[in-house]
Amino acid sequence: MSNNIKYWKGEEELVKDPAFLASRKNEFPDALPLDEVLGEEGVELNSNRRDFLKFFGFSVTAVALAACYKTKVRHAVPYLVKPEDVTPGVASYYASTCGACSAACESVVKVREGRPIKLDGKTGADIKNGGLCATGQASILSLYDNERLADPIANGKEAKDWAKLDESVTAKLNEIDSAKGRIVILSSTIHSPSTLKAIEDFKAKYKTAEHITYDAVSYSGIVQANKDDFGKAALPAYKFANAEVIVSFGADFLGSWISPVEFAKAYATNRIPTKDKVMSKHIQFESNLSMTGTNADDRFPMKASDEGKYLASLHNYIAEKTGGKMIAMPNAELAGNSIKKTADILLNAKGKSLVISGSNNVAVQKVVNSINMMLENYGKTIDIVNHSNQYKGIDADTDNLLKDIKSGSVAGIIFYGTNPVYNHDTAGWTEGIKKAKLSVSFASTKDETAGLCNYVCPDNHFLESWGDAEPRSGEFQFIQPTITNVFNTRQAQVSLLTWAGVSLAVENDHLKNKGILTQKLAGAPYYHYMRKLWAEKLGEKDFDKSFNSCLHDGVYSVKPAEAKTPAYSGNVTELASALSGGKQGIDLVLYTNIAVRDGAHGNNPWLHELPDPVSKVCWDNYVSLPKQLAVKLGLRDGDTVNVKSGNVSLSNVPALIQPGQANNTVGLALGFGRTAAGKVGGSKEKGFDTVGVNAYPLLSAAGRNWVVSGVEITKGDGTYALAQTQTHHSIEGRDLVRESTFAEWQKNPQAGNDKEKTHVYTIWEKRDYRKDGSPNHLWAMAIDLNACTGCGSCVVSCSIENNVPVVGRDEIRLRREMTWIRIDRYYSFRNNNSDKEIEGNYVTREKEIAKFDKADKGDYDHWEKIKVVHQPMMCQHCSQAPCETVCPVLATTHSTEGLNQMTYNRCIGTKYCGNNCPYKVRRFNWFRYNDNDKFDFHFNNPLGKMVINPDVTVRTRGVMEKCSFCVQRIQEAKLTAKREGKTPKDVEVRTACQRACPSNAIVFGDLHNPDSEISKLYKNERGFGVLEEINVQSSVKYMTKIRNTETV
Amino acid sequence: MIKQLKTLAVVAVATLTANIYAADKPNAEEGKKLYEANNCGSCHALDKKVVGPALRGVNNRRSEEWLIKWIRNNEAFRKSGDADANKLYEEYGKAAMNVFENLTPDQVRHILEYIKTAPAPVKAKGPTENVDGASKNDDGSNLYILLTLIGIFIVVLFILSKVRNTLRRLAAERSGEILDSKGGAIRGLLPEKLSNMNPTVLTVFIFFIVLIVGSTWGYKFGITEVGVQKGYAPKQPIAYSHKLHAGELKIDCKYCHIGVEVSKSATIPSLNICMNCHKGVQKASTAEGDGISPEIAKIYKALDYSPDSANYTKAFGPNAKPIRWVRIHNLPDHAYFNHSQHVKVGKLACQTCHGPIEKMEVVQQWSSLQMGWCIDCHRTAGIDAANNNYYAALHEKAAKDLKDNKNRSKYFTPDGSVKITPAMNGGLECAKCHY
Repeated sequence: MSNNIKYWKGEEELVKDPAFLASRKNEFPDALPLDEVLGEEGVELNSNRRDFLKFFGFSVTAVALAACYKTKVRHAVPYLVKPEDVTPGVASYYASTCGACSAACESVVKVREGRPIKLDGKTGADIKNGGLCATGQASILSLYDNERLADPIANGKEAKDWAKLDESVTAKLNEIDSAKGRIVILSSTIHSPSTLKAIEDFKAKYKTAEHITYDAVSYSGIVQANKDDFGKAALPAYKFANAEVIVSFGADFLGSWISPVEFAKAYATNRIPTKDKVMSKHIQFESNLSMTGTNADDRFPMKASDEGKYLASLHNYIAEKTGGKMIAMPNAELAGNSIKKTADILLNAKGKSLVISGSNNVAVQKVVNSINMMLENYGKTIDIVNHSNQYKGIDADTDNLLKDIKSGSVAGIIFYGTNPVYNHDTAGWTEGIKKAKLSVSFASTKDETAGLCNYVCPDNHFLESWGDAEPRSGEFQFIQPTITNVFNTRQAQVSLLTWAGVSLAVENDHLKNKGILTQKLAGAPYYHYMRKLWAEKLGEKDFDKSFNSCLHDGVYSVKPAEAKTPAYSGNVTELASALSGGKQGIDLVLYTNIAVRDGAHGNNPWLHELPDPVSKVCWDNYVSLPKQLAVKLGLRDGDTVNVKSGNVSLSNVPALIQPGQANNTVGLALGFGRTAAGKVGGSKEKGFDTVGVNAYPLLSAAGRNWVVSGVEITKGDGTYALAQTQTHHSIEGRDLVRESTFAEWQKNPQAGNDKEKTHVYTIWEKRDYRKDGSPNHLWAMAIDLNACTGCGSCVVSCSIENNVPVVGRDEIRLRREMTWIRIDRYYSFRNNNSDKEIEGNYVTREKEIAKFDKADKGDYDHWEKIKVVHQPMMCQHCSQAPCETVCPVLATTHSTEGLNQMTYNRCIGTKYCGNNCPYKVRRFNWFRYNDNDKFDFHFNNPLGKMVINPDVTVRTRGVMEKCSFCVQRIQEAKLTAKREGKTPKDVEVRTACQRACPSNAIVFGDLHNPDSEISKLYKNERGFGVLEEINVQSSVKYMTKIRNTETV
Repeated sequence: MIKQLKTLAVVAVATLTANIYAADKPNAEEGKKLYEANNCGSCHALDKKVVGPALRGVNNRRSEEWLIKWIRNNEAFRKSGDADANKLYEEYGKAAMNVFENLTPDQVRHILEYIKTAPAPVKAKGPTENVDGASKNDDGSNLYILLTLIGIFIVVLFILSKVRNTLRRLAAERSGEILDSKGGAIRGLLPEKLSNMNPTVLTVFIFFIVLIVGSTWGYKFGITEVGVQKGYAPKQPIAYSHKLHAGELKIDCKYCHIGVEVSKSATIPSLNICMNCHKGVQKASTAEGDGISPEIAKIYKALDYSPDSANYTKAFGPNAKPIRWVRIHNLPDHAYFNHSQHVKVGKLACQTCHGPIEKMEVVQQWSSLQMGWCIDCHRTAGIDAANNNYYAALHEKAAKDLKDNKNRSKYFTPDGSVKITPAMNGGLECAKCHY
């Protein structure tokens, strides 16, 4: 079946925005940016013949002088005593745990010459096999952030000496303790056994001390519901791999909900259609178009405040069939009886289904628990026995603490991984902290909260620390330092233990005895503390061996308890009033963005530069509006809006019309608007503008509930151009993605992919790299559109691996982003009504797509029911590459192994190749980003440069660059095989994007090896090449997207 | 028949006894093999005190029985209370010799025989070639000489023509002829056809010739001189001599440059490698006086190590400061080079690129490190395809092609030999070195 879906990327294509049409004509935004380069220095830009001669004369003289320039003397400084496991030029890999969020993904740290340069997911483990999210990968740059505190701060002044600081802090703690004053450690969720023990030790010393958990992004609703229903105040462990039907009410579980890498990995296992397995069905009800929603088979836009109503109906449908208790509420239904249909689907998959909700409302979560109980999912797809240890915080605890601290009843407060001044109640905490006798923050930068504290005792970055973690009960992981402290920082645990008077002196340091550790290693005392704890767990016998093997593997697990159905004591019958909802007016639905998340990594430029998976906006948050509401309010993209809820208001927030946004709802991301993050994320003190607006006040005002009902939206002053990458590379209405349904696929594996082959011509008749190439290798890639969730992990991974610079908001507005891989997001309206007039066309054009748009006729249903396909796009390494033929200096050539090579030192920057590339994947390097202080994104300072991959050239301005298929990794793998005398078949290469992908959507390999995964995928019926009709013979195959739904 | 068998038996017995006899008698050749196999040379030299004593004449200094005990297990021997053994141990700063219990007494005898009979070194001749000032050998300097010579010739020619003209004028005056007053000195130099040319045309003509010669020279200068540091031999913070260590003491390059077979960089040795020997070898050569060599003292200073303490562990003092060697070979950032590819896989000798390093007192950049230089080698060097599984397919294909007389020309290198070169396996492609 050849479908006739019309795809588009942005509204500007539909409305034929004049600016878009004009920009579409030019491959590159404008000519050389001379205005920017020279404009400031007062150079007259209208050059004439005389100027030409001046420039000419200058160039000749400059070249002549450069030729006379004596080469700089360079030095080579070897180790004094080389550590045994370090060979300069060879990377070492250490198993560790990612510390970017509480999901604590198992990871591998790549270390070159003693500096960590890449963080990847660990392979070979049962859960989270490989893959790491964008946030986790980017966290490596925070290590080299030169705005981290270089020294602790005592009473506003830098204190170089930790011992003195300890003395005064201990004195104050003792003073408070003897006066029976309250000391509170306010931490984000901690599941590290050794850290929890350190806190216990601290509490043992100071009897009045207590530990309160506060999570900015809280799952308090689920925790409370589980406490009431099962007697366990914890998040359950979700087993998406066991679920054949997944129903999510507003939970963005692939993007940012609880443990997205783990979930995406498990979710993807059932998403590839195979003959012997049923493809899972994913139904999403939500207001904002989340990344998870874009992946759903069926997505139903829903007003968020009605969630309880719909869930209650779903509950009652199921209760009716299973004999459960009913909620005394009338049945609510969405268009097309989708709730009833969902109930039927769920009932058919008892014990193999999973219902989740992203709500922070206890009543809603109780209904969800009840539904899952009736469906017998506990013990199968949900495990509350071996539960998750993430997000243990209860909102009420922090609210009470705030009351106490404001009343002056808290004498000492220690902030550990928390920043409530930014993300809780700014005014309240500012007032409260001043009332405390002692306030300490462990923040590594002078963040909003730390700026108000008496003492800031900067914690190490997790890559500098020893540690352990227990993200799910019984599954332990380890953190080992991969670099000595960059700054004069100290692990927070060591600070706590020092103040608690626990002796960290090491009597019998076996490392010291062996002569390995003679230098002071700041993390080492904690290593010994941790060892003592683990000696109890692992047993003294052969402890060195067992502990070292734990560190080597990075994991240790105890046999999980049987995941049987827990005792359920929930009662949903009385929840009716709490669920009725259905508030009038507009709902504001808050969410966390996939990269910036809760804002803790606010100073990380890689995360700001990663486009949102759905809107493709970077460097800002924005109010996403449904089309209907936008038309009603007279708003267009680029306008600003004022948001008001009660006494909280945000003014002039950029607005964006978001297809898929449910009517009468608007969305806004948390995590932006930091005022003390640093030069990237914004800092009042240093005079850097904030990035986006802070939406936390709205969250606090709504009682930490994600849904703020009855907000007022009015048009703001002025306009604001969001940096949005969606239509930077026009597709000219060509047919680039293919999709079909599971039912069709079962009938015909080529469904959706049986386009009539057009006649192809070639100008390279005598050249066929596939036949005449290297006898050893032919590299190729395959990307499964079914597995790709669009998360952008590959984009960040590629940038880290290949030294791709961050260019910033202004440059992105000028379409000058540098990323080598992008994820194209295609929208499509659905032709499920009676659009007889457009059928059968194969190549689509904007005007045809526009025919689907009935917004003019006042019908916005199709704007809400948008379908989305994500397609990662990078250099396709065409065997008959259009770029190669147009390069006047042979800077881009083809290798016998099938690679399209880019030679920077040959390139003279004509940009012809970029013009001629049908996939728009070539990037022109406009500036020397690594030395230009206008691009202050850590790449321009010596510390930030430490993250650079030494095996990849740092490109200078004026050259073209693009995906190289990670040729440095290919060369390295080949060399290893040659050194070890292995055959070409044993060469295993994993590109950076492939390595990062949590859902294994990207496969790379050698087509000359018939047993390789890639060779098998190349025979898959779903495989198609993008624009294969133009016969460039690309080396990347995509697998047709298959949805488990009725109609595509 | 029986007689024949008898003869055979006698011969056999004789051969056997001969073999047994041969095994009993110390054999210098066998000893040399053992000497090398057990890396005796890492700590000892025949004629020089290294970590351990110089070995020549040891057969006279000690009894064979003493030596066998010492060599096989000096630790046990010392503990047995032998005075000489303990004295020797103290003398060498308590740097214990390895235990070689795997050697049989007979094998030790072989080694001793080798030491006894090893030929004395030929008195080293003075350096036969001036490796320090290699700039004299390169193409650029030849060009300078040529240009100077041309200059001299022009001046000589100019003077001669001046003389000739003067003589002609004198001769003309005598005979009363009137010469064309226009004839200048340069004109006189030129052939008649040119000297009759219009002066403007002539000037333009000469200008073009100068321009062409100048640009050719400039181009040549540009590609052979600018940024090319061939012959670069900077002064190093320690006057380390490869001539002494690699040349005379024959220390394997890989002993110090440990990365060369596994890494992209050969690695400049860390000081703990120096200390393997130099915790023992401290003295300057006799010619320079007795105390600690000032160059070796620099190692101690860098490590903040006191040679008197003599208990070197793999640690360094609190005031240690790494040595800043001057980097000689500087490849640009956009060129990727990997030592292990060339040394381990390609089996190249260090000298192929680094020149006679074992003769260099001061190391200098021997090769130009220009791309053309790389490419030339990639076109002509052979891949040892037969002995590496990785190249099996390539080798098979080449063998088949040559057998079937197919694509023969593909396997001829520019120097005329038939082999599989890196170029044939994509070794000239851009992304093999530039990424």
